[in-house]
Amino acid sequence: MSLPERQTDVGPPHFEKFLPPVIKENYGKWKSHEVLTPGTMVHTAESGDQIHTVRIASPRILATETIREMCDLAEKYCGGFIRFTTRNNVEFLVSDKAQMDPLVAELKEKGYMVGGIGPGISNVIHTQGWVHCHGACTDASGIVKAMMDEFHEYFTTKTLPNKVRLAVACCVNMCGAVHVSDIAVVAVHRKVPAIDDENVGKMCEIPTVIGSCPTSAIRPNPKDKTVTINEEKCMYCGNCFTVCPPINIHNPEHDGVAIVVGGKIGSLRTSPKFSKLAIPFLHNEPPRWPKVVDAIKNILDVYAANARKHERVGEWIERIGWEDFFKLTGIEFTFQHIDDFTFMRDTLRTSAAFKY
Amino acid sequence: MGKYKTPMLDELEKGPWPSFVTEIRKAMNTSAMPEMAEDELGQLEKSYVTKKGYWKHGGIVGVLGYGSGVIGRYSSLPEEFPGIAHFHTYRINQPSGFFYTSAALKEICDIWDKYGSSLTNMHGSTGDLVLLGTTTANLEPLFAEYSSRGWDLGGSGSAMRTPSCCVGMARCEWANIDAMGICNHMTQHFQDELHRPAFPYKFKIKVSGCACDCVAAIARADLSIIGTWKGDIRIDQAEVKKYADGGMDIQSEIVGMCPTECMTLDGTTLSINNEQCSRCMHCISKMTMALRPGEEKGATILVGSKAPIVVGSLISWVLVPFIKCDDEDFALLTELTENIIEWWDDNAKPRERLGELIEVKGMRPLLEAIGVDPQPQQVREPRKDPFFFWSESDFDK
Amino acid sequence: MEEKEIQDEIFAYLEKMKGKKKLKEKDIYKKMMADHAELDKNTVKTALRAMINVGKVMYSYGGGASSVEIPSEEYLKEKGLI
Repeated sequence: MSLPERQTDVGPPHFEKFLPPVIKENYGKWKSHEVLTPGTMVHTAESGDQIHTVRIASPRILATETIREMCDLAEKYCGGFIRFTTRNNVEFLVSDKAQMDPLVAELKEKGYMVGGIGPGISNVIHTQGWVHCHGACTDASGIVKAMMDEFHEYFTTKTLPNKVRLAVACCVNMCGAVHVSDIAVVAVHRKVPAIDDENVGKMCEIPTVIGSCPTSAIRPNPKDKTVTINEEKCMYCGNCFTVCPPINIHNPEHDGVAIVVGGKIGSLRTSPKFSKLAIPFLHNEPPRWPKVVDAIKNILDVYAANARKHERVGEWIERIGWEDFFKLTGIEFTFQHIDDFTFMRDTLRTSAAFKY
Repeated sequence: MGKYKTPMLDELEKGPWPSFVTEIRKAMNTSAMPEMAEDELGQLEKSYVTKKGYWKHGGIVGVLGYGSGVIGRYSSLPEEFPGIAHFHTYRINQPSGFFYTSAALKEICDIWDKYGSSLTNMHGSTGDLVLLGTTTANLEPLFAEYSSRGWDLGGSGSAMRTPSCCVGMARCEWANIDAMGICNHMTQHFQDELHRPAFPYKFKIKVSGCACDCVAAIARADLSIIGTWKGDIRIDQAEVKKYADGGMDIQSEIVGMCPTECMTLDGTTLSINNEQCSRCMHCISKMTMALRPGEEKGATILVGSKAPIVVGSLISWVLVPFIKCDDEDFALLTELTENIIEWWDDNAKPRERLGELIEVKGMRPLLEAIGVDPQPQQVREPRKDPFFFWSESDFDK
Repeated sequence: MEEKEIQDEIFAYLEKMKGKKKLKEKDIYKKMMADHAELDKNTVKTALRAMINVGKVMYSYGGGASSVEIPSEEYLKEKGLI
């Protein structure tokens, strides 16, 4: 069977091919929008034209069968026009307003979760995990599923003081914006990697391995054509493992996850913020990571009860102070919370004014 | 059902949130190689028991002529799970803004069922339409099928990565720049850099239409292009009154939360001292019917953000406070981008990101290389210690 | 220099460095331009790309970064080139 002729460097198709007519006609001329329900909104153009959007959750890992089912619904209700959001939700772009309610009804009937818009919890940004990554020391999809089974009402109906962006990264490489999320889970190692000396010599460039270490913990061992790691300096980041697989950072017994909080991306009110350490370590507990879910629920509940309207998690914590955050949440403050990496100077307290 | 007992994963098919386990199971129904999804489940269940992954480091696979877009993935237990002995990732460059028609998506699915596992990520973190799990032998057929239909591969390795953007002008009144147009233009302009990894390391471009930054450009792009404006926020006082009548406490929720305290409320009339406004988007995002950005549009260019590896995560720094983006083919922006990349490519060590290079060299060499003057908008505050460089050119001023 | 001569030298350089250092495209430009003052980056790039397009050399990936290598027999078989 012959294959069609390949083309190179054509890039993706131009997006214009996929826009509904009402969007093409009003491109760049939208005037306002209104959120109708946590899963629906309407945008109005200067011309008066409108487009209605229906948003549903997705596990991001999708079988083609599910994509086809979504496509069938898009064909039935909105001319086949469908898009995905930057947080991996699915959106149906409905030009005929009368089709919106029947679409929502059928989506709900089929078990889809309609929601994700406004001050609640939208879809969770996450990485591949054990499903598909060599570097993973937890399963991102599993934690997300367990979390969102618990928090799904914040997707469909319930609201919070502002949106809370959740994320899960299955190692510190953090594919996805975990370092700037309201509440995020990041998988971490706690033990110095085990070195397979023979294969380091065969498979790795020693200078690259040494250069990969952020804390200068790696020394050459020319006699055995390998490297040694200074246990006192190693912070278990795993970058040496990335450049040299025989340096094995994985240690199932001691690997687990940390929880970081208070990050944000938008410049609204306050500058974008990094997420900061709340809980340094929780064990991997597949399949449902109950302690991780409980810990996040606790932070979320304390935030919901104490933050002012429109305050993001990080803004709320900055207003009350981190000492109060630890008091209100009951989270233990440990040596791991005091930074001794690159940004230490910026994080230690330089004032005699603080709360007890 | 299936070859493996998966009690742990079965647990994750319960509960209201859509289940990725169900999706992996469904893939067996459509793929020409149902053993892929089946063995994926088998291996994943094992990971859940042992708390350990079973994938090898990426291998050397790709399509002829390219060095990007395909990520080799092999099971470390190929005898136990032969269906995923090869389980490579094929990254399709998504259309800007993630818009599709059902016909286009169904065609992508048909090809994937024939040559792959039927599993996808819609979408990967960088933005590509990710196809999860195929064999080395199927890579060239996949490329022939997809590229002939206009779907090219995305970036990977030490290359330009697939640019990505928010929904922009297609469906957002806050889009100050044509985010999708810019994203598509950059993607097409840098096809060679995308497909043939000749850079010191990865280089990411992301485009957001306003400071809400829905694509997280400021946190995960070497080059963050974020739309903004000059001039006055447009106010519809009748709509302001409607918000007040509807019960919004404009004084505390809007005026009281303005970071520059540039707003005042007199009855139900809202005034803004636009000279003092920092264009943060708080008021506009809360009063969507009443407030709109000003009319002179452009972008702020920030550089350097990245995840923690190697020496800590970075959020992008302001490089160019304002640049117009409405010229033909975004020529000004494209030239600036080329100049930034050239400086980085000429100076970076292997695996050094733009932000890390700036930390080593300082901002000055980059600003001089791209011909941008120092401006207070580039810093949160000036340096505190009296150590600074002088060069001969400073004495001539 | 003729393109063929450039390509032969690139190939010889890659062979010499095999197992010693992973070469990036830029390393190859630098080496060729250092050895031959008359060569510019674009000429070397064009010659190298022509080799990559027919599988004479290939892009590789390892240690978190991309490089240029001489393909294995397995790769050439897979692409139907031998």
